[in-house]
Amino acid sequence: MKKKLLAVTLALAMAFGMAACGGDPGKTDSGTTDQSGADNNAGGEDAGDVGQDGGASVSGTEAKEPAAGDGEILIGCLQDITGSTSALGISVQTGAQDAVDEINANGGVNGKTLVMKTYDTKGDVTEAVNAYITAVTVDNVSIIVGPPVANIANAIKETSEDYDVPVMGLAMDPACQLKEDGTAYKNMFCFQPNADTQGDIMASFAVKNGLKTYGVLYNQENSYSVSLLNPFLDTLKDQGITVDESLIVAYGAADTDYKTLLQPIVSAGVDAIYCPNYTQQLVAICTAASELGFEGKIINGLDAAPPFNTTFGGDCSNIYYINNIDVNDGKTSEMVARIEDKVSAVNKYFLGYDIVMIAKDCMEKAGLADADALRDTIANVKDFEGLTGKITMDPASHMPAGMGMFMYTYDNQTPVMLEEYAGN
Amino acid sequence: MSALVSNILTQVFITLIAVAGVYVLTGLTGMFSLGQAAFMAIGAYASGLLVVRLHMNFALAVVLSVLMAVAVGYLIGYPVVRLRRDYISLVTLGFGEAIGALLNRMTFLTGGASGLTGVPRRVGLPLACISAVAAIGLVAFFKTSKYGRQCIALRGDELAAKAMGINVIRVKMTAFLLSVALTAYSGALYVFYMSYVDPTGFGWKKSADWVIMVFFGGVNSLTGSTLGAFILSALPQMLRGLQNYRYVVYAVLVLLILNFKPSGLLGEWELTPGNVKRSIGRLTEGRRRKEEK
Amino acid sequence: MSLQIILNGIATGSVYALIATGFALIFNVLKFSNFSHGATMTACAFISYFLVADKGLGLFPTLLAAGAAGAVVALFGEFVGFRRILKNHSSATYFFVSSITLGTLYEGLVTIRVGSNFFNFPSFFNKPTIGIGSLVISTTDVMMFIISVAVLLVLAFVIQNTRLGRALRAVSFDRDTAQLMGINSTRMIQSAFVISGVLAGIAGVFLGIKYTLYPSLGSLVVKGFIASVIGGLGSLPGAIAGAFLLGILETVLLSLLGSGYSTIATFAVMLLFLLIRPQGIAGSNVQEKA
Repeated sequence: MKKKLLAVTLALAMAFGMAACGGDPGKTDSGTTDQSGADNNAGGEDAGDVGQDGGASVSGTEAKEPAAGDGEILIGCLQDITGSTSALGISVQTGAQDAVDEINANGGVNGKTLVMKTYDTKGDVTEAVNAYITAVTVDNVSIIVGPPVANIANAIKETSEDYDVPVMGLAMDPACQLKEDGTAYKNMFCFQPNADTQGDIMASFAVKNGLKTYGVLYNQENSYSVSLLNPFLDTLKDQGITVDESLIVAYGAADTDYKTLLQPIVSAGVDAIYCPNYTQQLVAICTAASELGFEGKIINGLDAAPPFNTTFGGDCSNIYYINNIDVNDGKTSEMVARIEDKVSAVNKYFLGYDIVMIAKDCMEKAGLADADALRDTIANVKDFEGLTGKITMDPASHMPAGMGMFMYTYDNQTPVMLEEYAGN
Repeated sequence: MSALVSNILTQVFITLIAVAGVYVLTGLTGMFSLGQAAFMAIGAYASGLLVVRLHMNFALAVVLSVLMAVAVGYLIGYPVVRLRRDYISLVTLGFGEAIGALLNRMTFLTGGASGLTGVPRRVGLPLACISAVAAIGLVAFFKTSKYGRQCIALRGDELAAKAMGINVIRVKMTAFLLSVALTAYSGALYVFYMSYVDPTGFGWKKSADWVIMVFFGGVNSLTGSTLGAFILSALPQMLRGLQNYRYVVYAVLVLLILNFKPSGLLGEWELTPGNVKRSIGRLTEGRRRKEEK
Repeated sequence: MSLQIILNGIATGSVYALIATGFALIFNVLKFSNFSHGATMTACAFISYFLVADKGLGLFPTLLAAGAAGAVVALFGEFVGFRRILKNHSSATYFFVSSITLGTLYEGLVTIRVGSNFFNFPSFFNKPTIGIGSLVISTTDVMMFIISVAVLLVLAFVIQNTRLGRALRAVSFDRDTAQLMGINSTRMIQSAFVISGVLAGIAGVFLGIKYTLYPSLGSLVVKGFIASVIGGLGSLPGAIAGAFLLGILETVLLSLLGSGYSTIATFAVMLLFLLIRPQGIAGSNVQEKA
């Protein structure tokens, strides 16, 4: 009995002790943060004001460890570090961190040192909300480098309305930035061409290259894959090509036989298969296609960029893919060579890098004292010369306007850039 | 209370409700469900859709969604309570996968892989807390009721229970439906707290996690199961700093308990007035209060 | 065309068969579903990848390394996860909980080691396909099928015709009596884990070849679980039959109904099967106290 009680007591002490630790920084921060918690729960509308106080305190002197001290600006990096999309998350994180280091080496932001802290979403929506709230209420970050995963952005977009911390993310699904009524979530931003643009570019490219008949294999359990489906089909339709219903094939995590799924597409003798899928599955799908003797082209999203070629291992000459970066560009190719072994999704590295560079510009222009001014500046970024292209934000949609991308193929294993496409 | 703590507590309370359901199923009746999380998904999606698509009243939607889940639970429960125990986990596992596939496939209704967005936020810490207390109270009542004792009897020896005149199938079904209702309710709270739900995260691993929580705290004790759920669902949050070592720490902790204290943290100890009186001499008043919370 | 789909199903089934037998073997002896089997497969696939395949040593050294790794991992698991529970005479449900936790542990360790990088076994064959008339069979599938069958034949021989096999069967039938008859039941349980570990290792490499390597690869263990239950819990021939049946059923339903609905249909067929023939294909050899 005694032992049992001891165990319980210890466990309780541990749980509550930790809960208290977690809560303390927020608690001691100011009375207003307290209120922000309460308001948040009640879905209160004036939580925004309170959050603003929290945001302002970062630039003040009272911010607590590990929040930025005097002369430091803390930014958050909300990424999947340990979950199923961690390859993407870690790549964005590495890029963002390198940008932070570079900025600090060149004198920081308005003389202040930039400090980045990463919050792991584990690729789970509940975890993402926890991570987000930790970032904005406990550590009082000034901005957040957001994830490239739509579900995570979807999960935090409502919560983010209660605070004043811009999420500079990469979620390609327009629904992550726009409410049902078409206005933008005040804090949600996307810094890469959205799914509509990417699907459109891939389809235009395919048609231009003389491909006439298509099959599609997409992952219906993955929002990224789903979001790229219709834009591609729509553009094909505009060009007078309809893809037969029976050749648009969906699959899910429980399916283990890509060959059976590809069978009807391959037997139909199509010119090309459109495969908007994550790298892992893409490798398995391309292997299955070659085992079925498919000899046409395979058109992919960003995920067929290196290291797809080395992971796949075989001849990739029949692969077309879209990319954010131009490897023929001097600075880009230099950086690619430097980081290739370090990150697994090179284009995500550059997206993370660019976001931090844009954030620096905006923070220098607007300062950190006024959250509205900072958001306005971010929403109105114009002609920013990033490594992923020239970025101009559309203030209405919080997504880049006219940002282009590049189409690539492989010569056996070597990436070959074919053409640059302007966005719409 | 800071926003973070209240956020974590809200999530923990929502989990507590689901685990109370698992306690009824696994702790009291000895059945294993690997598809329990699917009922959480049903509760979340049904109530969310009723409000988003049909603009139904929040409370009504929650009640309806629980009833819907119970109806589905009855269909699944019909074979489940008649099959031998090893098969229960298999049938519920398959059911869970089927529900996941359905949610993904019915894009026009559920939003598919992109998830269901636009659910209004109606649940905060107070409601989650009250609900959790009520759910645990309900389960405690069930445990001490005629049905609860019959559950325990058939868990120990089904044949003997039958011989004693217990309607095994009916008792199992009651326990199953109660656990389904609780889990669905926790799902409804989840969606109105998160204001978003997607089809991931309701797989068999979530169901297995809940079972682990019950065993961690004490499979024979509702207090223990609750405590186990509390500790294990809050633990990964506390260990955030450890990054990807979190799960290793979690697993090692559970393995230690299973190996060295197989009856769970609390064994069979329950939080009842009698037991409290007995322990009062050993515990200081302050610690007691924490426990009650 | 339909023959092609059956062939695909058999290819899938042969991998399921390896998973299911490893699963059924432990069930046979300890009467519980060992969910750590999945993570064991993943761990072995990665270990053999880093130790052997990455250095370009070819398929058979890779399989050997994976099998050896499986034996070690399974022994470790038996020691940390199950030994004490067995000694305490706890109910089978403890094994179940322990095995899931063990799986979490392995998966966590693998994640720490491999992080977020993509891994894939190098292709072991120069010619990806073999054509027979209008049928196309991939070389990898043929290889997997042959190796699976060979491994399963060896296993059947061991179980049926050796002292070890007889002792294993005795222990699985009644542990205490076997112990009284002079069989070291702990040693036998360890042997069962070693064999199941070897099977897990080989299955892990096959899964890795088929679906690339990633930390949650082992979640395919549920297919082995389903197959072994359909087959009749604990029966090895039943598990193999169940695995091929499941593989073929899945591919046929997939080609008829498409993804998603095929998952639901598979579930419905499984449920029906359990209601009609609750003892499984082979007829269960597990005595359950009702």
